[in-house]
Amino acid sequence: MEPAIYADDLRKAYGDVRALDGLSFAVDRGEFFGLLGPNGAGKTTFINVLVGLAHMDGGTAEVFGYDVEDDYREARDRIGLSPQEFNVDRFFPIHEVLEHKAGYHGIPQGEAERRAAEALQTVGIYDKRDTRFDWLSGGMKRRFLLARALVTDPELLILDEPTAGVDVQLRRDLWGVIERLNAAGTTVLLTTHYIEEAERLCDRVAITDEGRVVDVATPDELRSRGTDKVYVTLADAPAETPALDVDGVREIDRDGDTLVVTAGGGGRVAPALLRELEYAGHEVVDLDIRRASLEEVFVDMTRVDDEAEELGVVG
Amino acid sequence: MAPGPDGHSGADAAGGTAGTPGGVRAGARATDGGTATDGGTARDTTGHATGGGLLGVGFRSLLKREILRFVRRPRNTFVPPAITNVLYFAVFGVILGGRVGTIAGGIDYLLFILPGLVVLGAISNAFENASFSIFHGRWNEYIHETLTSPLSYASMVLAYILAAALRGIIVGLIIVGIGLLFTSVPIERPLFLAAFMLVVPLLFASLGVIGGLVAEDFDDLTVMNQFILRPLVFFGAVFYSLEILDPLYRTLSLLNPMVYMVNGVRYGFLGYQEVDPLASLAVLSGLTAVVALVDVWLFRRGYGLID
Repeated sequence: MEPAIYADDLRKAYGDVRALDGLSFAVDRGEFFGLLGPNGAGKTTFINVLVGLAHMDGGTAEVFGYDVEDDYREARDRIGLSPQEFNVDRFFPIHEVLEHKAGYHGIPQGEAERRAAEALQTVGIYDKRDTRFDWLSGGMKRRFLLARALVTDPELLILDEPTAGVDVQLRRDLWGVIERLNAAGTTVLLTTHYIEEAERLCDRVAITDEGRVVDVATPDELRSRGTDKVYVTLADAPAETPALDVDGVREIDRDGDTLVVTAGGGGRVAPALLRELEYAGHEVVDLDIRRASLEEVFVDMTRVDDEAEELGVVG
Repeated sequence: MAPGPDGHSGADAAGGTAGTPGGVRAGARATDGGTATDGGTARDTTGHATGGGLLGVGFRSLLKREILRFVRRPRNTFVPPAITNVLYFAVFGVILGGRVGTIAGGIDYLLFILPGLVVLGAISNAFENASFSIFHGRWNEYIHETLTSPLSYASMVLAYILAAALRGIIVGLIIVGIGLLFTSVPIERPLFLAAFMLVVPLLFASLGVIGGLVAEDFDDLTVMNQFILRPLVFFGAVFYSLEILDPLYRTLSLLNPMVYMVNGVRYGFLGYQEVDPLASLAVLSGLTAVVALVDVWLFRRGYGLID
């Protein structure tokens, strides 16, 4: 069966800027897939190519096997998009906006009304149905964008920064809705700056940078590639940093009575580390392993030089 | 300077962009949304209808949206041309017209200018509706709701054009209605009248689509109306007969497409013609088809719409 999304060697330039520079990856049906990358990595451009808001210069993009340009109607009919920017019809109350959107997807009026009501209930703003989008609060606007993506009952839900500027409680609510949809079979493509969200929610993530996919893996796999830190507290502060010959250890720092050991896999090196230390005559009183977060791995993989600030990584 | 039927374009724009209560609020009340659970039809629509054929559900949904947009804001769309034309009829028709007397072989001046005013109102409103609706959608990016749907580009364009032309036709009828307050209005060639009143608004609705795609600012829409439409209309034999012009200017006037439209509609109402209405109709119909095809081509390319 064709994957939900298939991208091969996508290219798109805006003047001198290569927004997509050979982007390739595939998303399986039913997957919860995260697209991570610094600002300007090409995530939104990629989404725009899928939904028809950007022409690609080269390459192939397919949604459930339908080419996004040659079979654009089939492809677009399967996608529900919750975009980063607010782009909602200002002339109509929100329930009508949803009915129109459903209508554009070929859903007759009666059914469109039913679905609009259902979508508004799902995101919890049904009581605002007669309000215009401009008069909704910021959080309600985000909810509405999700409702609009859901009203056509999409097989592929694309969420571009769906929780930007949204408070914690609402984020939990939105993720609850999205996880239920995913559990019911909807494929989800997510971009987010909240990396710990991607870490928690996604089956797999693609790390993108400069218009390319740097790596695709499960959050666990990616984390395991990062360096963990093992904090070993000794009974007596050592006079100097002990030299330890343990496979996987990259660096050892001394902080009072605590040794900070940077290692490829914290759990794997810990037993050998303890043996070596005790052999050298140190008494270990505490041990703490801090695993690399996806965010740290992400920063390592996408960092150009010291411009971590500009990567737009939000903790 | 006469405000012209388009004098309200600024208001339409301002009301829309800022999302101000203005004309918009009426719509909210009008549709007390409580239609929520209508039971709906069967769930057979979960399959992929892809918006249907050229005139399918998708097309009809967009057409309905486009029509409701102007119908629910009559203060921005219908009242201004009504007021303007009361002024035209009163000042040009009654006050000045009394001095002019008859024109073009015995036609009452007020009656002579009526077809021209109908054309003027119809084309301004058809053009404005299409250009404004598309530009406003681009400006606020909600045209993405349509663009990311499975509607075919031909369906999209057709919906925009038909809705805009309908507004032009309705405004034309309103102007005829106002004319009836001042004089009796004959309809000598009803079929010609119907044909011209269909083709002319369709043509300007199609041109309005291009206007809405090329505009980069709300001011651009005003400029198109002020510097292109209005001069053509004023030199389009709305207020005078070609026969009163010097031969040079009469020949020059024949280069103005507006002359043929005004003449055609005038022929429908009064049976009076200065150029062959059948040839005009053929040329205008062909032109409309060409412009509509250009519209579809521009949408397909994403001109002004996408990156």
